[in-house]
Amino acid sequence: MSLEETQVQTAGTHQRPYIQAPSGKGRMRAHIRKHAMPYLLILPSLLFLVAIEFYPLGVGLLEAFKYHNRVQPWATQYNGIDNFVKAFNDHTVRIALRTSFVMVFGIVGLSYLLGLLSGVLLNQRLRLRGVYRALILIPWVAPPVVSFISWQWMLNDQSGIINRILINLGIIGEFDPILWLADPTLAMVSIIVVGTWSRFPFMMITVLAALSAIPDDLNEAAAVDGATPFQTFRHITFPLILPVSVIATLLQAIWVFNDFGLPFVLTGGGPANATTPLILLAYKEAFQRFNIGYGTSLAVISMVLMLALGAVYLRLQAKQQGEMS
Amino acid sequence: MMVTVSEKPVVPAQAHDLNTSGRSRRRRRRVHGGKIVWSIVTHVLLILITLFAIAPLAWAMSSAFKTNSEILTGLNFFPRNPTWDNFAFVLGSTEFPTWLRNSLLVAFGTTFLALIIGSLGGYAMSRWRYRGRALYGNTLLIVQMFPGVMLAIPLFLLLSDYGLIDTLWALLVTYLTFALAFSVWMLKGYFDAIPREIEEAALIDGANRMQILWRIVLPLAGPGITTVAVFTFLLAWNEFFFAYVFLASPGKYTLSIGMYSFIQQFTTQWGNIMAAGTLTTLPVLIFFFVLQRALTRGLVSGAMKG
Repeated sequence: MSLEETQVQTAGTHQRPYIQAPSGKGRMRAHIRKHAMPYLLILPSLLFLVAIEFYPLGVGLLEAFKYHNRVQPWATQYNGIDNFVKAFNDHTVRIALRTSFVMVFGIVGLSYLLGLLSGVLLNQRLRLRGVYRALILIPWVAPPVVSFISWQWMLNDQSGIINRILINLGIIGEFDPILWLADPTLAMVSIIVVGTWSRFPFMMITVLAALSAIPDDLNEAAAVDGATPFQTFRHITFPLILPVSVIATLLQAIWVFNDFGLPFVLTGGGPANATTPLILLAYKEAFQRFNIGYGTSLAVISMVLMLALGAVYLRLQAKQQGEMS
Repeated sequence: MMVTVSEKPVVPAQAHDLNTSGRSRRRRRRVHGGKIVWSIVTHVLLILITLFAIAPLAWAMSSAFKTNSEILTGLNFFPRNPTWDNFAFVLGSTEFPTWLRNSLLVAFGTTFLALIIGSLGGYAMSRWRYRGRALYGNTLLIVQMFPGVMLAIPLFLLLSDYGLIDTLWALLVTYLTFALAFSVWMLKGYFDAIPREIEEAALIDGANRMQILWRIVLPLAGPGITTVAVFTFLLAWNEFFFAYVFLASPGKYTLSIGMYSFIQQFTTQWGNIMAAGTLTTLPVLIFFFVLQRALTRGLVSGAMKG
């Protein structure tokens, strides 16, 4: 940084070169300094991005085209698109993909509805507003493993509080518990409910932030014109929060699709493979069956799907920022 | 409100006017009655939603204070004979304290580094236009969409090659990288709001860019620093997947992996498991409630940016 210290000149910003650069050699140095500085600043983060994201990604992309099983490392070799062909013909993969989509649609849809409802309710002058908001945000900050374990226990068919309450109320028989996590359909329902539980607070604050950006006079004007609250919401409020909602929903879809902890901790992907989304299947192939190559190819498939969503997200994001500025 | 309406002198200039004001009075009364109903509905709905939100953790925490027999038979929420036994067991007879230490090390280490590296990147994003700026910013956003599993498999192989697997370092560098997008973008936003004049003055006084960043810009971006710090801490504290893949020996576990190993180990001793869960959750909740306002504001804008 010694060079920097002698340099008082144009290390300024792009917008305001507030002091004239000196002539000759000094200007040259100033020029390099000025242009090198931002790159020096982003260098550390770039190093980590390359080492932890892009390099592994590249290695992973290669692995996806290999036969690589850790049980028989000597047999490792490139096998072209065999892994992908295998994946497309694999019944388990198809089911896992379906499970992923059911999870994404169920959780994202329900968490948006619940988040929207809570957001609209909390966007009023209200007693205890801050308390409600803080408590509703708990699922979002609490360690997921702890929450999912607690849910798992609550949903347990023998010792879970939910079944015990139902038995106590006489709704179900003592020896006829509801198999919340052991019945394939109910396990999926449980996953969606718990997923909604963990995701709706994010939707709520997003909606709340969008709602608070709407000027009050807009709603008042609508009320003066004789619009019912529902009409105001439908024709004024909702269209205004729609852009933010779309982005939040997309992001959420990506997160839910990549969510490993929820199915892994809550159901372990079972019973059988009923609640195993693609991401969990990729993990199981790679780390439990040691099929590194095949597991990676499944991860690549899910990544391609997510990048498509991600591209839409970035597009909308850029569009919205363009509108705002 | 009703009183003012009825007390308002109505000038009966025209019958038509009188008529409308009478109608509007009725209507206002109806609206007012509707308001009370609506406010009740609001509170009922919000209470239900809140109960849904807090149920699992509230139940976990209350169970942590119950005796084993009460846990297996009771339906009551509040413990009848509150006991510290579960906590004593978790803290005294398990590796929980080691995991707590590991989690603290990783979380604070990640936070510290993410703040330094993130503020460098954020400063570059905020104060310079340069070739590759947009690419850098978008790359930060895009990498967040890489599925964890996609990265975990090759990272596992790579870290094994370098002997870093089953160490806390593996987690530290991974979490740090994941926190970068948020820290860079978040801090950029806060830096943008700091007037350049202050820096210009310092530049003229002979300070260099790094001095300006550390001594002038960062202190002014205090709320941003807090938000990034808490977010990074939460990320590192709560993360499960990579810790599960990278860590093999119980002595290296972080709390979330330790919790997961508990349900394998003490399958039905829910009191102990829930005591561990309570201890794992408590720091997060305290953090959150103290900094709630700044945090939610920051996190929403941050999440919307990336």
